[in-house]
Amino acid sequence: MGAVLAIIIGRMVYLNGINDRFGTAYFGRAFIESLKLGSLYALIALGYTMVYGIIRLINFAHGEVFMVGAFLTYFLFTLSPYPWYVALLYSVFIAYGFMRILEFFRGNLRDPVVLGGGALMLMFATFMLSTQTVNLIIALVFSMLLTGVLGILIDRVAYAPLRTAPRNSLLITAIAVSFFLQNFGLLVFTNRQTPFRPDTLITNPLTIGGISSNWLLVAIPVITAILVVALTMFVTRTRLGKAMRASAQDAETAQMMGVSVNRVIATTFLLGSMLAAAGGAMWGLNFGSLNQPAVMGILPGIKAFAAAVIGGIGSLPGAVIGAMVIGFSENFLTAVFPRTNNFLGITEFKDTFAFILLIIVLLIRPSGIVGEDLSEKV
Amino acid sequence: MASVSQRIDARTQELAFPRHRGRNILLTLGGLLALVIILWFLEGLGSSKLNQALALFAIWGVATVSLNLVNGTLGILSLGHHGFMLIGGYTTGLLILSETARDRILSSGRSSMNETTLGLSLSRGLDLIGLDALTTPETLWIRFVIAVLVGGVVAAIAGLIVGIPSLRLRGDYLAIVTFGFGEIIRLSASTRIFAPLTNGALGLPGIPSEFGKSVWWTFGFLAITVFIISKLKYSSYGRAMEGIREDEIAAEAMGVNLAYHKVLGFAISAFFAGIAGGLWVSWLGGVRLDFFLFTLTFFFLVALSAGGTGSITGVLLGTALVVFVRQYGDPLEETYALATWLIIAGVTLLLAAAATYLYRTFQRQRPRMHPAVYGLGIVGLIAVLVGWLAPNLGILDGTFRGFGMRAIFLSVLLIVIMIFRPEGIVGRREFNWGALFGERPDQPTDEERKQDAWLSNAQLNRPGGAAAAEAVAEVQAEVPGKPLLETGDEPVEAEDK
Repeated sequence: MGAVLAIIIGRMVYLNGINDRFGTAYFGRAFIESLKLGSLYALIALGYTMVYGIIRLINFAHGEVFMVGAFLTYFLFTLSPYPWYVALLYSVFIAYGFMRILEFFRGNLRDPVVLGGGALMLMFATFMLSTQTVNLIIALVFSMLLTGVLGILIDRVAYAPLRTAPRNSLLITAIAVSFFLQNFGLLVFTNRQTPFRPDTLITNPLTIGGISSNWLLVAIPVITAILVVALTMFVTRTRLGKAMRASAQDAETAQMMGVSVNRVIATTFLLGSMLAAAGGAMWGLNFGSLNQPAVMGILPGIKAFAAAVIGGIGSLPGAVIGAMVIGFSENFLTAVFPRTNNFLGITEFKDTFAFILLIIVLLIRPSGIVGEDLSEKV
Repeated sequence: MASVSQRIDARTQELAFPRHRGRNILLTLGGLLALVIILWFLEGLGSSKLNQALALFAIWGVATVSLNLVNGTLGILSLGHHGFMLIGGYTTGLLILSETARDRILSSGRSSMNETTLGLSLSRGLDLIGLDALTTPETLWIRFVIAVLVGGVVAAIAGLIVGIPSLRLRGDYLAIVTFGFGEIIRLSASTRIFAPLTNGALGLPGIPSEFGKSVWWTFGFLAITVFIISKLKYSSYGRAMEGIREDEIAAEAMGVNLAYHKVLGFAISAFFAGIAGGLWVSWLGGVRLDFFLFTLTFFFLVALSAGGTGSITGVLLGTALVVFVRQYGDPLEETYALATWLIIAGVTLLLAAAATYLYRTFQRQRPRMHPAVYGLGIVGLIAVLVGWLAPNLGILDGTFRGFGMRAIFLSVLLIVIMIFRPEGIVGRREFNWGALFGERPDQPTDEERKQDAWLSNAQLNRPGGAAAAEAVAEVQAEVPGKPLLETGDEPVEAEDK
C-alpha cells in the first residue's frame, strides 16, 4: 500500500517537473473525477454486497437493474406528462415501493400509516406524471422506487423458488435474469446510445479552483454520501435493519428467532436496486449519454462487483472502500501515467484494472480489505 | 478356490470390459454409419439454411461438450469460454488468412497490423521449412486443420495461464474470475499490444468458409471431441474430476490432487474451446471482436442446463435446442401489430398459469389455485381480451418489432429450467446401448452379487464359505439391500474361538 502511494507521489512530482500541464489543476481534476466515479461504483457495489451478505448470491442481474434505473429516470424525465392510464400504471408500482419503505418504520404493510402513505403517493405520482414534465429529482425518486420494486419482483420470480437449490443453479438463474433484462431493455427502451443532457440546475457549469465542470462534480459525491449514510442508519437503527444483520450472520437461526427472512431478502433487493437506480441515473448524467441497454450494465456492474469483493463482500463500508479503490485506480492511475513523449499511457487498459485488482485481492486476501474470513467449512 | 485378490482381478476385468462389449461397438459403428447416411441425405436436400444449422450445431457442440468438462464433470462454473474461443478463432484466422486478404489489410490505411504480424501465415511458414507441397490451394484443408489445432493449443496455454492462479478459488468467486478473464481477453484484444495481431476493431475479413460451413468437417471435429472427452470422462482422471465435483474435501482426502485435476480439466476444455473458435470463425467467414461476446457463453450455458449439465448426451440435445432457436427463431423477431404481441403475451401468461397449476397438482402442493395461478391467469386473460378487442376500440394501433426476442425466449427458458428441472432433460445420465435392450446397469447380476458378497465379507473366504456366499447372494437377490451379516444364525466370529 505504502509502496503504491510512494510510486504515485513520485510520478506526480516527476510529471510536474517535466511539463507545466501536470499541475495542481490536472491532479485535482483527476482526484475529483475519481471520487465521482468511485461514488457511482459504490452505489452499485452496495447492492451486490447486501445481497451476497444475505443469500450468498452474486446477483449478476444487478448491473442490468442499474441500467433499468438509468433508463426509467431518462424516460420519466423526458416523456412525461403521460396519458392518465400510463401514469396510473407507473404510480401503482411507485406507491408499492413507497409502502415498502414506510414499512421499515411501522413494521407492517397493513399498518394504516403505511396504507395511507401509499394512497397519498399513488395520487401524488399519478398527478405529477399525468400533468407535467417532472423535474429531475422527482424523476430520480420515482425511478428509484420503480427499480426497487423491480428488484423485489426479480427476487420473487427467479430467486425465491431456488432458496434451497445448489449455489451454481442460483448463479445461472441470475445470469439468465441479467440476459433477460439486457434484451428486454433492447426491446422496450431503445437499441442505440441515448444522449442524456438535461438542461437543469445540476448540469449547469461550475468552476472550483481552476477545475471547470458542472454541478454534478459536487452533486454525485454528496448524493452518494447521503444515500450511504441513510442506508447505514437504516441497517443500524431500525428493527428491519437489525433483522437484516441477523440474517446475514445466520439466516436459519434468525428465522428461528422470529425474523421473517423472506421479508428481509425482499428489503435487501429493494434497497440495493434503489441505490443502483440512483447510480444509473447519475452515471447517465455524468457521461452525458446512456449506452445501449444490452451493454450499459455489464461493465459497471461487474466492476462494482469487483469493488464489493475487494472491499470485503458482505460489508457495507467495504463496498464503499472497494469502489473508491477502483474509481481511483481507473481514473487517478491513468492520470498519473498519462501519454507523454516517451510513454504511450495506460488509458486504454483501464477497463481491465478492476479485474486484475479482483484477481490479486482474491489470491492474496480473499476476505477483502475489511471483510471477515469466509473460508469454506467442512 | 480363488483368493480374494483373484476375485478382485475378475471384478476389475469385468468393469474394464463390460458385458456385450462387442455388440456395443458394432452398434456404435452402425449408429455412426446411420448418422453419416442421415447427414448425407440432409445435405443432399440442398437447403443452405439447414446445412448452416447443422454445421453450427456441430461447432457449438464442440464448445458445449468442452464446457461441460469444466461445468459438468469438474463442477466448476466457468463463464470465460468465449474468451478461449476468441483466442482459438483469432489464431486460426491469422494463420490461414489468404494472401489477397493480407494485401488488402496492409494497403488499407486504417489497419493496425504491420508487415511482421501479417507475415504470420501458415503457408509462408510451411514454405520456409521446405514443405511447399502443403502451400497449394488444394492442400488448404491441411493448413486449416493445422491452424485449428494450433488455435486449440494457444487457447489451452491461455487456459493454463488463467487456470493456475484462479483455480485456487472456490465456487462463485471462480465463476466471476473466469468471467473477468473472458472479458479481459476480449477487452485487451483491441488494445495497442494485441491490435497488430487482431487488427483491432476491424478484425480479419476473408477467412475461408468452406470448412466451417461443411457438415462433414464440423461433424468430424465434433465426433473426435465427443470421443476424446467421453474417454476422458470414464478414465481415472474423469472419475477424479467427478470426485472433486461431488465433494472437494473428500476427494482430497482420498488422494486426488485437486489443483492438478482442475488445471488439467481447464486446459483440455480450453483446447477444445479454441478448436470450436477456429471452426466458428470459418463458419462466419471472418473474425471480429463482437463475434465473441458473453452471449456465446450464455447460449452454451442454456444448452448445458437444458440438456443436463454433466451428460454429454444431454449437452448435445441442449445444443440442438439452442441452435434451433437461434437459426429458426426468426419469426419471433419480426414486426407484428401491437395487438398481436399483446395476444401472444397473454397466451404465454395463460400457458404459464396452466403449467403452474399442473405442476402444483403433480407435486401435490396445496392450494393448487395458488395466487400465482390466479394472478398470471387474470393478467393473461386481460391481455388477450384487450389485444382481441383493440382493433375495434381503436387503441394500440401501431407495430412493434420483436428485436432480441430469441435471447429473451432462451433466458426465460433457462430460468424456468432452473426452477422446475435444474438437472435438465436427461440429468447426468448418458446414452448407452444397454438401456435400449432393457439392461439395467444399476442392478448387479447374480454373479456380481456373489462377488460383492465375497468382497465385502472376508469371513466367507475360507473352506465352506462358497455355499454361504451363494446363500447370501440368494437372499440379496430376494431382498435387495438386506445387510449381509444378518443372514447367519449366529455371529460368524463365534466360530473362530
